[in-house]
Amino acid sequence: MRLSALLSAARPRLPLGYRHGTWPPDSAAARLRNPPGQRRRKVFVEPIAEDDWKVFWGDTVQVLTGKDAGKQGRVTQVVRPRNWVVVEGLNTHYRYINRTAKYSGTYIASEAPLLLNQISLVDPEDRKPTEVEWRYTEEGERVRVSLRSGRILPVPPQPRRDGIVPENWIDGPKDTSVEDALAKTYKPSLKTFEEEIMDAMGIVETRRAKKSYWY
Amino acid sequence: MGLLSQLARGLVRGADRLSPFTSKRGPRSFNKGRGAKKLGVLTSNKKFLLVKEMVPEFIVPDLTGFKLRPYVSYRAPEGSEPPATAKQLFDELVAPRIEKDVKDGTFDPDNLEKYGFEPTQEGKLFQLFPKNYVR
Repeated sequence: MRLSALLSAARPRLPLGYRHGTWPPDSAAARLRNPPGQRRRKVFVEPIAEDDWKVFWGDTVQVLTGKDAGKQGRVTQVVRPRNWVVVEGLNTHYRYINRTAKYSGTYIASEAPLLLNQISLVDPEDRKPTEVEWRYTEEGERVRVSLRSGRILPVPPQPRRDGIVPENWIDGPKDTSVEDALAKTYKPSLKTFEEEIMDAMGIVETRRAKKSYWY
Repeated sequence: MGLLSQLARGLVRGADRLSPFTSKRGPRSFNKGRGAKKLGVLTSNKKFLLVKEMVPEFIVPDLTGFKLRPYVSYRAPEGSEPPATAKQLFDELVAPRIEKDVKDGTFDPDNLEKYGFEPTQEGKLFQLFPKNYVR
């Protein structure tokens, strides 16, 4: 019982009645809206299996219902426990942010999440909405296939969990640059590493260890 | 932290039995080492004789102009080379010399030491088997 308690302390499990939102689960907004001991009405969500999920971050989708019906956009956020997808610039409402006592705040457009049945994936060449299915290729790779045309929808490269974008990374003082890391400077030789260092530094050792037996 | 999180869950009581009982816990009179080896020998009149050969000495080459650093940039592509095998070393270093000697006609199967063959590991400082260096 104690081992499981230790393991769960390493990766905290969300409480039973946790209400998911568009915020990350370890943020101040999550703590504000999910105080310990809160019990809220259950949100009913169509159960979708983990490997049946078809919409990923970075996909182009078309909105089918609502104010922006018929428009296409990129997915900027996926909230799986509520079957939510936030599309960039679509299904927006307006609100004020950064309000202070003196300043009334900036008026910005903020996107509301859409459910999966209000969304449709888009064929990459047609750019029309299609039904999509998971199938296996000849090589055995699992891919999304458009049912109408049979084209494969490649899954866009997913962002890293730590939020680092390798293309925009700036090397710090302790980082090896890419050229130095990939440079091949190994010269194969029959000497061991220790013997090479002794030769390089001019260390001469004529004493030998006494013979000892492990048995 | 382990006990506090368990108490926060409210069902577990008692001391922390799972973490190791080191010299940092217990009363002032509790004396326990952290596993350092003895670098010498205790003589009959309780004087400790240090053996200089057992004291580790770090041999560090001059690192001026050394380009590698502790971390690697995130921009570097993932991947690794296959681990080096004895066959690869042989093919790169020894095989060309043996081929050259066979072509010149000077190959002598009794004198393989000149290509790096070692008949025994006796008398070597760093023996390969049984390995007598720490790596």
